[in-house]
Amino acid sequence: MKYLIFLALIINSLFADSYSSGKTDVAPVNNQLYIKECGSCHFAYQAGLLPANAWNKMMANLENHFGDDASLSAENFQTLSKYLNDNSAEKNMQYKRSNRIVSSISAGQIPDSISTTPYMIKKHKDIRKNLITQPDVKGLFNCIACHKTADKGIYGDRDINIPNFGRWED
Amino acid sequence: MRILIISALVFNLGFSAVVDDYLSSLKQEVLKENPKFTGFDAKRGEEIFTSKHIGKKGKEISCTSCHGIDLNKSSENFFTGKTIEPLSPKANPKRFTDVTEIEKWMKRNFNDVYNREGTALEKGDVTTYIINK
Repeated sequence: MKYLIFLALIINSLFADSYSSGKTDVAPVNNQLYIKECGSCHFAYQAGLLPANAWNKMMANLENHFGDDASLSAENFQTLSKYLNDNSAEKNMQYKRSNRIVSSISAGQIPDSISTTPYMIKKHKDIRKNLITQPDVKGLFNCIACHKTADKGIYGDRDINIPNFGRWED
Repeated sequence: MRILIISALVFNLGFSAVVDDYLSSLKQEVLKENPKFTGFDAKRGEEIFTSKHIGKKGKEISCTSCHGIDLNKSSENFFTGKTIEPLSPKANPKRFTDVTEIEKWMKRNFNDVYNREGTALEKGDVTTYIINK
């Protein structure tokens, strides 16, 4: 019996990577105001993709949000700041990607964006630059262009399909 | 059928009442500056909507860069690629039904394209253009 359990564990670990794809990597967005206000211009990034201090830094400068005016009413600002703070990455360490993102940031660093966190840079470094900048993708900020299940919080290899390239094996 | 007609009427009132209120408050504002002002003009609005300007990002864009030329069709955000539903209330009944939304986007998008906020005259003209497309 002990042997069987051991064997099962070994087999399990062998398939750990393929196992993890299809599994929820970050908690999905569950706030309609967030989807409406933030998701009308870009993919509605899960709050668990950045720690609270990074969200707060971003929210403090919405008048110039990556070059765009994304200013909010005082009321919506309060609601969305609270949502981001309550659901930020460091409070969701049971989710694999939140955990990896937080762990990759050095002490004292506050990232300006999700795509500039060390974990995201590392995970995307082997992709040809022109695949990222091509019109169908535009930039690393456009998660859903390649991660077909990004809106469900699933970022595994199995669900990647890069336009004009195809599936990606890490 | 009756329900359809009634709901169509109610919706229609909803849309036109909001836009009418918005336009008449803009008109009051314009009249303060120019007592001879007679009314907003879709032709001027078209120029505002389609002309190119150096926007907030330092790139030459117009409103059409994101909303497209045909306001009855969906388009996509020039920078992010995100789909934008049609701007015309004829194609998209949700448009121009909430004054807070209208004001939010007018402020943001004038800043994005013109790198400044729109005047009451400009906002009235461009609204008149959009709702008649």
